[in-house]
Amino acid sequence: MRPYELSLADAAQAIASGELSPVELTDSVLARIEAVEGSLGAFVAVFADAARQAAGQAERDIAAGAHRGPLHGIPMGLKDLIDVQGLPTTASSRVREHHTARRDSTVAARLRDAGAILLGKTHTHEFAYGLTTPQTGNAWAPERVAGGSSGGSAVAVAAGEATFALGTDTGGSIRVPSALNGVLGLKPTYGLVSRRGVTPLSWSLDHVGPITRTARDAELVLAALVGPDPGGPASPYVPPSGRPHRTGGDLTGLRVGVPRNHFFDRVAPEVAKAVRGALADLAGLGAVLVDIDIPMAEYLQATQWGLMVPEATAYHQRTLRSSPELYGPDVRVLLEAGELVPTGDYLRAQRSRTLMRRAWARLFDEVDIIAAPTVTSTAARRDQQTVRWPDGSEESVSDSYVRLSAPANITGLPSLSLPVGLDGAGLPIGMQLIGGPFAEAALLSTGRIYEEARGAAPRLAPVAA
Amino acid sequence: MTTADLSPQEVARQALRAGIPLEAERLDLVTATANHIRRVIGTLRALDLDETAPAAVYDAAHLVGEGRNDAAV
Repeated sequence: MRPYELSLADAAQAIASGELSPVELTDSVLARIEAVEGSLGAFVAVFADAARQAAGQAERDIAAGAHRGPLHGIPMGLKDLIDVQGLPTTASSRVREHHTARRDSTVAARLRDAGAILLGKTHTHEFAYGLTTPQTGNAWAPERVAGGSSGGSAVAVAAGEATFALGTDTGGSIRVPSALNGVLGLKPTYGLVSRRGVTPLSWSLDHVGPITRTARDAELVLAALVGPDPGGPASPYVPPSGRPHRTGGDLTGLRVGVPRNHFFDRVAPEVAKAVRGALADLAGLGAVLVDIDIPMAEYLQATQWGLMVPEATAYHQRTLRSSPELYGPDVRVLLEAGELVPTGDYLRAQRSRTLMRRAWARLFDEVDIIAAPTVTSTAARRDQQTVRWPDGSEESVSDSYVRLSAPANITGLPSLSLPVGLDGAGLPIGMQLIGGPFAEAALLSTGRIYEEARGAAPRLAPVAA
Repeated sequence: MTTADLSPQEVARQALRAGIPLEAERLDLVTATANHIRRVIGTLRALDLDETAPAAVYDAAHLVGEGRNDAAV
């Protein structure tokens, strides 16, 4: 196995035992970027020299006995909404030409302190306001969408162009591209990971989280990211509960809620089948499947839009007036239309969120986690605008992509998307596990046990080099 | 309760008042998008919200002293 193919945990172990040096690993990943980036376009910018230099330093530090932990010497990518001191944060937008970050975001600083090596900044749908990331091709089929908005990060991890990456998630932007590219994406509990120095899309819905190839890798990255950030926006009101990880090899007694409504409505048959198969696997591991009803499902889209659209427009208030022509047409029209949302509607969405949070909290009296498809279908063709469903309805690709992931943003609950198979065209399918507040450990340990039971080593996307 | 669609003239007027003069060739697109968004969000008007307070998310304590950071546009 070549170093760029290693999971984070395996690479960390090889570095710790001296079998692999951070320089070898970083060189291998940079060579992989060189080989496949032309067909994928995951990165806005790659900082190869700086990465090699940092890898050399990590190698010397580790040799001198100053090993900082599992992320030391591991090459990674950051979505280009995340500030790194001295570098531009382009948000994949012409609006940000000439931008330079004056200091590190909290997450970039934490990864640096943990010894991770920045390879480059990855593409986002412009300002994270979209679900496709048109600059980037799907790692499994470059003529199909990467998903978004953290498309660059998910594709980089899926293709071996980064050992892990960070994304952001406002309606599904970590989980959607993770599902479409066959990797894991964790949207943590709202506020658990600091957003200081991360360009917002919608303050009350935004989250930062890891994209990795295994659940164990996500545990390692999350451990480096969390911690109080008193000056940061929306730091957690309470610390993570530290619920014990499941350390055994099965899921005996775990109550898994399976939605009767919403999450399997208007879902591609192959996606539903793969997720039902994964649910059967969880049951085979001892989990108890419990049918549940999703509350207020008919208000999910309205609530998401009622919060996100006015908040996004508010954030872009100044540049929408000074340089509207610099925005891409799809983002510009959404920002302009957002000016016409009445304040009363925004408050109604906030009040709806209150009701939804309460109703979802009651669900977790009955179950420990909820399992459902992450995305309604696999990756669409890049020129495809709509999805037609068997009931005759038509839906925009973006609306269909966000439909199943947005509930965890409205409620703030943690959600982990993990790969559960491929469709007939060889495109990845994701299942999401949603937990109660600060139940990240339960989601990740469930994911890990599921992965171990499947026995399949994480597989990189078969990109032709 | 339903949300009445805005006419292109109303959109032009409201946008101008908000400081966004819309060029004539953009007016139909913005109007269609705005009306679609308003129709979707407008369904919330059927909810019985009674005494429900908004969940705005922010912890006021964290707003104190929060300055402009590099993530600003």
